[in-house]
Amino acid sequence: MRTVESKQAGLERRQPGPRKSQRNQGLWISRIILIVASILYVTPIYWMITTAVKSPTELAVFPPTLIPGEWHWENFARSVEFIPFGRYLINTLIITFFSVVGSVISNLIVAYGFSRIQWRGRDLIFGLVVATIFVPFPVTVVPLFVIFAKLGWINTFLPLIVPTFFANPFYVFLLRQFLMQIPFEISESAKVDGASEWQVLWYLILPLARPAIAVVAIFAAIAAWNDFFGPLIYLQDESKYTLSIGLQMFRSTHQVQWSLMMAASTLVVLPVIVIFLAFQRSFIEGITLGSIK
Amino acid sequence: MRLKGLVFAIVLLGLAMAQTQVTFWTSSTNPIDLAALKNIVAGFNKTNPKIAVKLVQVTGSETDAAKLMTAVAGGTGPDVYMLDRFTIAERAAAGLLEDLSQYKAESLALNYLPYAWAETQFGGKTYGLPFDTDARVLYYRKDMLRAAGVDPNTLDPSKGVPTIKTIQDIAAKINKADSSGAYTQLGFIPWFNQGWHYTWGWAFGGKFYDAKACKVTPTDPGVVAGFQFLYDWAKNLGPQKVQTFISTYAPPNYPPAQDPFVTGKLAMVVTGDWFLQTMKEYAPNVDYGITYIPTPDAKKTTWAGGWSMVIPKGAKQAAAAWEFLKYIAGAPGQRVYTKESAHLPTWRALLNDNSLYDTRHLFFKNLLPSANSRPPLPVGALYWDELTSAMNKVTLNQAEPKAALEEVANRVNAQLQQFCK
Amino acid sequence: MTRRERYNLLIGLLFISPWIIGFLAFLVYPIVSSAYLSFTRFSGFGAAQWIGWGNYTRMAGDALFWKSLYNTAYYTLLAVPIGVVVAIVLAVAMNQRLREIPIYRAALYLPSVLPIYALSFIFIWLLNPRYGLINLVLRWLGLPPIDWLGDPAWAKFSIVLLAQLGAGQYALIFLASIRGIPQTLYDAAEIDGASQWHKFRFVTLPLITPVILYDVVIGLGLGLQVFAPSYIITSGGPVNSTLFYVYYLYNNAFRYSQVGYASALSWVLFLLSVVLAYGIFRWSRRWVNYEVGT
Repeated sequence: MRTVESKQAGLERRQPGPRKSQRNQGLWISRIILIVASILYVTPIYWMITTAVKSPTELAVFPPTLIPGEWHWENFARSVEFIPFGRYLINTLIITFFSVVGSVISNLIVAYGFSRIQWRGRDLIFGLVVATIFVPFPVTVVPLFVIFAKLGWINTFLPLIVPTFFANPFYVFLLRQFLMQIPFEISESAKVDGASEWQVLWYLILPLARPAIAVVAIFAAIAAWNDFFGPLIYLQDESKYTLSIGLQMFRSTHQVQWSLMMAASTLVVLPVIVIFLAFQRSFIEGITLGSIK
Repeated sequence: MRLKGLVFAIVLLGLAMAQTQVTFWTSSTNPIDLAALKNIVAGFNKTNPKIAVKLVQVTGSETDAAKLMTAVAGGTGPDVYMLDRFTIAERAAAGLLEDLSQYKAESLALNYLPYAWAETQFGGKTYGLPFDTDARVLYYRKDMLRAAGVDPNTLDPSKGVPTIKTIQDIAAKINKADSSGAYTQLGFIPWFNQGWHYTWGWAFGGKFYDAKACKVTPTDPGVVAGFQFLYDWAKNLGPQKVQTFISTYAPPNYPPAQDPFVTGKLAMVVTGDWFLQTMKEYAPNVDYGITYIPTPDAKKTTWAGGWSMVIPKGAKQAAAAWEFLKYIAGAPGQRVYTKESAHLPTWRALLNDNSLYDTRHLFFKNLLPSANSRPPLPVGALYWDELTSAMNKVTLNQAEPKAALEEVANRVNAQLQQFCK
Repeated sequence: MTRRERYNLLIGLLFISPWIIGFLAFLVYPIVSSAYLSFTRFSGFGAAQWIGWGNYTRMAGDALFWKSLYNTAYYTLLAVPIGVVVAIVLAVAMNQRLREIPIYRAALYLPSVLPIYALSFIFIWLLNPRYGLINLVLRWLGLPPIDWLGDPAWAKFSIVLLAQLGAGQYALIFLASIRGIPQTLYDAAEIDGASQWHKFRFVTLPLITPVILYDVVIGLGLGLQVFAPSYIITSGGPVNSTLFYVYYLYNNAFRYSQVGYASALSWVLFLLSVVLAYGIFRWSRRWVNYEVGT
């Protein structure tokens, strides 16, 4: 299997002298830009972690210190004790896991129906899907709650999980854009050989769309992980709360448990970073269209 | 043997069934307050074996009760809810709350501070029982006053209510700016922290609501005078420069540890009794005092808010909830809450028990009988937001007080009209 | 309809059936009920009182409706193009062939995973007029400091900046799209002696147009419904300069108990959005290219 890196190496070998130094220069320019941009984008996380370990007295120092004078790592332990962290973590993991499964399966299938099959009225209905993106959320909150209440789903994870199995306009649209770009000859020739749509989706399209599916998986995971409004409304029992609700408990009417909130936020973010690092590899390793051709 | 076991099981089952489950939601997240609430619930459950109250911590800020509203609409609401008292009229008008008159709640009226009780009323009916209360005063940093050559004793409450003029003179001595003209220290920002429209409207003798005409009266001369005071104060310092000072030293959602009063950037501030706790926690060594909110005529003024206990519509155990309401909002509950969480009670008898308050808190407590409270209106939140927006315009000198307040009157009265008889 | 067409219709509907079921179960009722409520006076509980077009005529005279509409249009017009450009730049950066690229990639994506509350609090610090990173840079360049969140003239733009911290999210989509471009196309361009810029302009850019369309449409949706920054950071201030449409709508529904009016506000925004989105789709036919290799 040809990887991008080996291709790259091959190209480099073909380059004559002057082109190569030009390329190296270009690499250094992009490197510098990347470093500056990365620093800018990492400041929020740096700030979050350093705030998490500060003492109350140091928090009152003005302007805030860039590097904490003392590192109070116990703030992490305290933040975990402040809320039932373990319980909330398990709840959040359950919801996130099913949301990702539901989102990937349902959106891929629906997007396939909107992009790889020609049928009358398809683009009209797709327009309807896109239109639902524009429904302002505040007015749907109460009627939707009433539906879930009638189903007896309040105070369970179901209102947070089940809808993810019925496609989401954001992800359907995203996947459709990717699937439209896959050359149609590929699936046509497979169909001539007697493959069903299902088999085309499973054996041809799925491997080719892996980067886009990874994007949907990452988005769905982060959306579920950080979702605040859904759990706030549908969960009514403290034993069922999620981490994002837990974070709210560090805020009270006139006070914010600042360090503890940042410590908890750091702990909440860590797993997401791990998920991201795991999934981002599928961009590198994903089979590109080029290798198919 | 077997029969005995069966009888035992049936008795147990009967006991469990006889016990009524009452769900109690609170949006409080303060650990001290929560602990006190839990103790009250435990105390009630012990003395009322037939009722089991369960405390559930929910999130939601004072005026945004999205969680409660959806839950009640879906028929899955709690039996008891701790609601910002000032929003009772609004929520009652919307049909969110159970009318407590059916339990003869009115018979309890005289036990409560009159303003607190008034806030539980809408359309001649009672929709909640008052819980705690608070009060606002002027905090001042003695060390910063001394550094500016001002004798802190000038502001001692024994000298009476400070006049606006006194505060102006002191503040002017404390203000400092850097070479670019940006303020690095200010004496006083009247509209900062709890210096609200209501604070200054009342300080200048204004009235916010005319019950007879069923109209809000933000254009009342007193309120306009209060806003003019804010306008002039901002103009004097440079409105955008003060705003930049606030954005620098007290940006949105700043942590309490970085409050400019705590960090010594601001020498005087109007805020409430809960701030005693902030000072204790983050600035234990700072030498500060508290006195009355300054007024033009040296008349005492403060305003009070606080929470209440209500029964939302559709509560499954309303009768049992009422039993709990009487307990938690009555003497037993409020005593525990006052003692453990250092909030002020609305139950009048407890105000006479000085053992419940420390010296500083005593000052707040003694202000309560003369406290103002926001008019209980079905458009209370709208009125608040509109006044805030007007104050914002005035303190940035983007509108004249009168014009800004006229707009408030128009917008709020248009919505209030539908509730007038 | 031929047999083949009928078959395709059936199969097509079968594939999209999850969406149809979800739509019927969870969306039709809320949409229909809000349409009805927009013609009533309704507090959220009890009976709704029919008032005809009352809510819609009220909007015409509601200064805050116009103000919030203006704020939202202003925000969307800035946030969408800036967002697309930033996301593409980040994606191209994330696609560089450097050994340490996974580190940059993670760094650029990190702010997107922060809970919005934590991110907002931190962002406020970055914008501090005296101590914030942004103003330090301005001072270093010899420019006057800006009161980003306190000055009504700058507050909306600050929210646009906040959105850029989350641009890693969209950069990821572009990255996935760029990784899907056949290497052979670049090789061919290279043989023709194309510069880096030419390769981007004539190979990369045309092939990521489907994702640009996606980003513009989604950006429009998110821009017109911007809510969290007002809710968490500014409460609509200073002087209503960040009073965005959906925030105003939310306040009407949940703070002022005016669900009827809020429903009418929703419908106006919804119809406006759909018209705009339709326009974008029509326009996109001129520049979106779904065919690889042409």
